[in-house]
Amino acid sequence: MVKHNRYLFNRANMRAHKFIYIVIVIIILALLPLVVHNPYYIHLLIMVGINAVLAMTFILMLRTGLICLGIAAFWGIGAYASAMLSMGLGLPVWLSLPAAAVITAIVAALVGVLLVKQGGFGFIIQTLAFGFIIVLIFGTFQVFGGYVGIVGISHPEPIPIPFVGSMIFTSISKTPFYYLMLFLLLLMVLVLAAFYSSWAGRAWRAIGLSAHLAESLGMNLFNYRLLAFIIASTIAGLMGSFFAHYYGALVPGSFGPFKTINIHVYAILGGINFPILGPVIGSLIMTFVPEFLRITEGVEPIFTGILMILLVLFLPNGLLGLTHLWPRRGKPSGNTTHPII
Amino acid sequence: MLEAIKLTKYFGGLAAVNELNLRVNQNEILGLIGPNGAGKTTFFNVVSGFFPPTRGRVLFEGRDISRLESHDVAHQGISRTFQASTLFMKLSVLENVFTGYHMSYRTGFLKRVLHSSSARKEEEGFKKKALETLEFMGMASLKDELAANLPHGYQRTLGIAMALATDPKLLLLDEPATGMNLNEKKAVIDLIRRIRDMGITIILVEHDMKVVMDLCDRIIVLNFGQKIAEGLPEEIKANREVIEAYLGKEESKNAA
Repeated sequence: MVKHNRYLFNRANMRAHKFIYIVIVIIILALLPLVVHNPYYIHLLIMVGINAVLAMTFILMLRTGLICLGIAAFWGIGAYASAMLSMGLGLPVWLSLPAAAVITAIVAALVGVLLVKQGGFGFIIQTLAFGFIIVLIFGTFQVFGGYVGIVGISHPEPIPIPFVGSMIFTSISKTPFYYLMLFLLLLMVLVLAAFYSSWAGRAWRAIGLSAHLAESLGMNLFNYRLLAFIIASTIAGLMGSFFAHYYGALVPGSFGPFKTINIHVYAILGGINFPILGPVIGSLIMTFVPEFLRITEGVEPIFTGILMILLVLFLPNGLLGLTHLWPRRGKPSGNTTHPII
Repeated sequence: MLEAIKLTKYFGGLAAVNELNLRVNQNEILGLIGPNGAGKTTFFNVVSGFFPPTRGRVLFEGRDISRLESHDVAHQGISRTFQASTLFMKLSVLENVFTGYHMSYRTGFLKRVLHSSSARKEEEGFKKKALETLEFMGMASLKDELAANLPHGYQRTLGIAMALATDPKLLLLDEPATGMNLNEKKAVIDLIRRIRDMGITIILVEHDMKVVMDLCDRIIVLNFGQKIAEGLPEEIKANREVIEAYLGKEESKNAA
């Protein structure tokens, strides 16, 4: 008989099968800057990391039945909060980074209490509205720099690393930022994996599969959805803070719902049943393929839109969903359970 | 134990449950029967908190539970099964039952997120209990099968297993024997008796009269949301109004 217990016992699975692979992937990612010298490609890789984490937050909320069109808004709240803390209050970046995450969490909790209760279609429309409102607020109020945006956001302070010297963040070399992105990416994956493999992850999954049944077993839909919403938004906020201090400049337009749609596409392209690997694959492809095809920024939305329609029509489980088509060792094809990583 | 007082639920202008007074005693099996659309399932939905009642109250162990949401009702010790096989179809049988222990978590939030040894031990305990429940149901050999792949009869039993996992005081069973063959029906009758012997009170909605007459200590008959009869199984069998409700007036005259 086939074993179908991956939902419950993925921790054991992870130790046995995946640990070695994960270590190998981390080593390859860490050595990548030794091979890739072009700073533009390093920049693209950094954006892949940020976008992948954002797409992970989309899947996290989707699992509980929430389709959020305000992910980029929370990404922006983190970015603006961090920029203003370091520029206005003179806070060191290493403090404004976690502080921005906390501020985003508070905003997410307040917004979430109002919006999550409704769920369903109401939630989609209201988060869309929230996404537009945030852009308007950033653009209209001069405190936030208006539509011109904020420039000259400070880079992180150097960190001493034993035996190597110190890691200096400047606009000349992007490699230190790449490593910082890698660190944050791994940290967020760990946080997400810890939640997914715990009681909360099981409850989210149960709610996504059958909300009525989950409720009748005593799960409070509102609480679990709010938890997912706050965790997702906080993670987006933290990545926003990193983006602000990496990029050095913020424009309100980049945090609108169009960005969120792109985030959705990364997740759907990779495969929404793969909450960690799917977003990485999706954002990797969506960042590099338009680059190699030399698609200019003006045309990109058309490309993305057509791709999204095609995906939903012909490949709703994404690229990684195709892995179910070929049989694995000792396992017949058509396995419908979903791994955590 | 459970008491409904003038319970009324309107859908638009239609009274699905109308001024229903009903009482369930400790550790009895109460049968709830009636033609289609009589309001049986609506009664379950109102009691389990899926819809608020339009008027009236539901008391459980003396507490008013009529305005509670369904997860709070579950916490009070009322568990239910669903008419259609509502299961987590993409999860295994064991995982389905495991989910039923959700209310039994006692470790703290951080311990659970950080997978501390006490949190892991707790979940191991749930797994063990889930296996025991499956053994009690006679489904232990199917534990690794996907719920979606189960035969219909086992899907219904799995639904009962999940409801049992929540450790209820009162169990609402919505047509547990639907679509079962004779042997499966016998097994489910035996199972429901054993559940009662564990000290759990049961309200049973069922169309199969043999199952109802075999199992129930008391039967209440609903028609158009109202109670038309109440009594022991033998009394209900002989009740003229009940026969009329089921067969229609003309038919029952012919039958008589």
